[in-house]
Amino acid sequence: MKSVVFYFQMHQPRRIKEYRRSEVSHNHDYFWEEKNKEILERIIEKCYVPMTKVLIENDIKSSISISGVLLEQLLDMNSSVIDLLKEYFKSGKGEILGETYYHSLSSIWDEEEFKRQVEKHIDTLSRTFGIIPSTFRNTELIYNDKISQMVKDLGFETIITEGTDEIISKNSPNFIYKTISGLNLFLRNYRLSDDISFRFSNRSWNEYPLFADKYAKWIFMTEGDVINLFMDYETFGEHNWKETGIFDFMRALPNELKKYGIDLFTINEAVKNKGKKYELGINKTISWADTERDLSAWLGNEMQIEAFEMMKTLKNTKNKDLWGLLQTSDHFYYMSTKHFSDQEVHEYFNPYHSPYLAFIYYTNILEDFYKTFLD
Amino acid sequence: MKSISVLGWELPPVFSGGLGIHTMNLYTKLSNFLNINIYVPDIVLPSGYYPFKAITVNLSKYYGSYYRSDDFFDLVQEYNEILIENFNPKDVKLIHAHDWITFKAGVELKNIYHIPLIITVHSTEYDRSGNFNPQKRIMDIEKYGIENADKIITVSNYTKEIIVRNYNANKKKIKTIYNGVNSELYDTGKKDYSLKKKVLYFGRLTSQKGPKFFLEAALKVLNNMKDIKFVIAGEGEKMEELKILAGEYLEKNIIFTGFVKFHVARQLYNDSDVFILPAVSEPFGMTVLESMVSGTPAIISKTTGVGEALKNVLKVDFWDSDLLSEYIISILNYKGLRKTIGENGKIESLKFTWEDAALKTLIVYGDYL
Repeated sequence: MKSVVFYFQMHQPRRIKEYRRSEVSHNHDYFWEEKNKEILERIIEKCYVPMTKVLIENDIKSSISISGVLLEQLLDMNSSVIDLLKEYFKSGKGEILGETYYHSLSSIWDEEEFKRQVEKHIDTLSRTFGIIPSTFRNTELIYNDKISQMVKDLGFETIITEGTDEIISKNSPNFIYKTISGLNLFLRNYRLSDDISFRFSNRSWNEYPLFADKYAKWIFMTEGDVINLFMDYETFGEHNWKETGIFDFMRALPNELKKYGIDLFTINEAVKNKGKKYELGINKTISWADTERDLSAWLGNEMQIEAFEMMKTLKNTKNKDLWGLLQTSDHFYYMSTKHFSDQEVHEYFNPYHSPYLAFIYYTNILEDFYKTFLD
Repeated sequence: MKSISVLGWELPPVFSGGLGIHTMNLYTKLSNFLNINIYVPDIVLPSGYYPFKAITVNLSKYYGSYYRSDDFFDLVQEYNEILIENFNPKDVKLIHAHDWITFKAGVELKNIYHIPLIITVHSTEYDRSGNFNPQKRIMDIEKYGIENADKIITVSNYTKEIIVRNYNANKKKIKTIYNGVNSELYDTGKKDYSLKKKVLYFGRLTSQKGPKFFLEAALKVLNNMKDIKFVIAGEGEKMEELKILAGEYLEKNIIFTGFVKFHVARQLYNDSDVFILPAVSEPFGMTVLESMVSGTPAIISKTTGVGEALKNVLKVDFWDSDLLSEYIISILNYKGLRKTIGENGKIESLKFTWEDAALKTLIVYGDYL
């Protein structure tokens, strides 16, 4: 029988402040705490709390990743979200995934640093929730065979990534595969995922409005073992407001699926109960970001590359934690200068309203970091 | 084809400012759709062939005083009177007057012949005075034109707001139409973004354009970085004052070129790492687009009209030479920043075309033709 596998990404960066060049050598506080708090409090209220309650109250199974950067902010705020998540994970319905603590791009350039960050994340998860994850999801589903080997070496059993057009033209995303490194591999079904995350409240979509019964029917008509619906947690209540009916949709979905004999599985349950298809090699680096599904959201222009290269040169610092916080991929995402619809998405998230200012503030901070935290 | 009459002031190759360039480009495009008569003074005879009809009116008896500003007002008064005398209303469906220099004649011709009047506000006395001691008699003429025109075209929403605020213009009559840029003149192909250590100011040296803030920022940069050259291209009443401010850096780091011809300007854009326009009040800012077309990043004041339509520039308050100097240093320090702003800015600037400006002008005319 077919199963739906929900995976939700929970992440909020620690955005850097509008750090002036005149502050270099004087001010070593880099983060925009008021802004971060303001945004996070809004998301907690609109999404994290109500959505986690929806999951608990409706017995919805899912797998969730929480970046270390978000987790430490939630812990600092003593947020009730932590207790709700504990309750959810304890119930057995919810499962937690591993990733890099800082939601960074370390996987593409430095194995040692990648390992440090993944282990730091595991350590935080085990201290907070008492759980050691067995599934890995890299930052924004960045993936290639080499990354999967590093993840295997860290002791994980399963990894998830994007089902890009190129991959799904030959391999259905609705089955579990094996990576060359020997991990179980899940591919996101981006069409069905985006129906919820991008199109749900789009009035010009010809399927608008989307109700759970119609969506369950689409799942029923889709061939395969697992339907992998992977998306940002903020889809619920933040990107689609409560008023759009997104929570009602989620409340209704399990029963509508049941009518077709479809159940919800966590990733580990799916691994246990479903067969594995053949080995799938993915040489090219992919991700779930933008329409290109590659690294161009973070390293698409020369400014982003210059900032990234400069960040790398700070590796010998003793203040690894601070350096890690400056590796969060969002810092580079804000520097994107893509055209058309992708750029609209980048701008929506950009607290500085200009990719150039994002670069200037970031490099100002790196200059201070270089002078202050490098011997 | 329908006929319209334009009350102008200058036509290339004879001009002192942007008005002649605007007139030439806009009406070259519009002459494909309309019979266009452009009235200009015969101070120096316009030369060359125009795709529209250039009608000169005899103002040459006043020529000697043209460049003396205290007489300039009188010269303009004279021009307006002669325009009215010389105007031929036959078949004219519309009069289009450009700036205060022709507003008076525009309104009076409208009243005499009952022909609708459109005016374009390219700049106001408020801008030209750098918001300091504007001449009331000129503002009165501007107000007269703004009150009596059937439609008003402004070159930016920034200017639209100025005339609403300072001249009590009726918002509903105003349409913003951005200027175009002759990209083929300034596009020198693929720009090399290796560091040139050159920062450019190009514009008249008047308080309106803010050269003083450029100089202040230059001195702040020079405190941090040696051997950077700050090129101040253009001439104007502030030259001597600026040279004194430049102090020890004069000639070595701060270079005054005086008036530059087109081909030199083109070279200057291309040879600079960054172009700065810290204008106190600039209705549009054609040089910003010229710089961007050449691939050179621009830092402009928030009070520069074209900035409201641009994403790929850095913006500062005109007085904030601290921040301006910081942005300059970042651009000089980081090639990736120069290149990314420069390349994206170029693409963005190419969207400003005279075809587009002409089309939008034609739509404004449409109500009266």
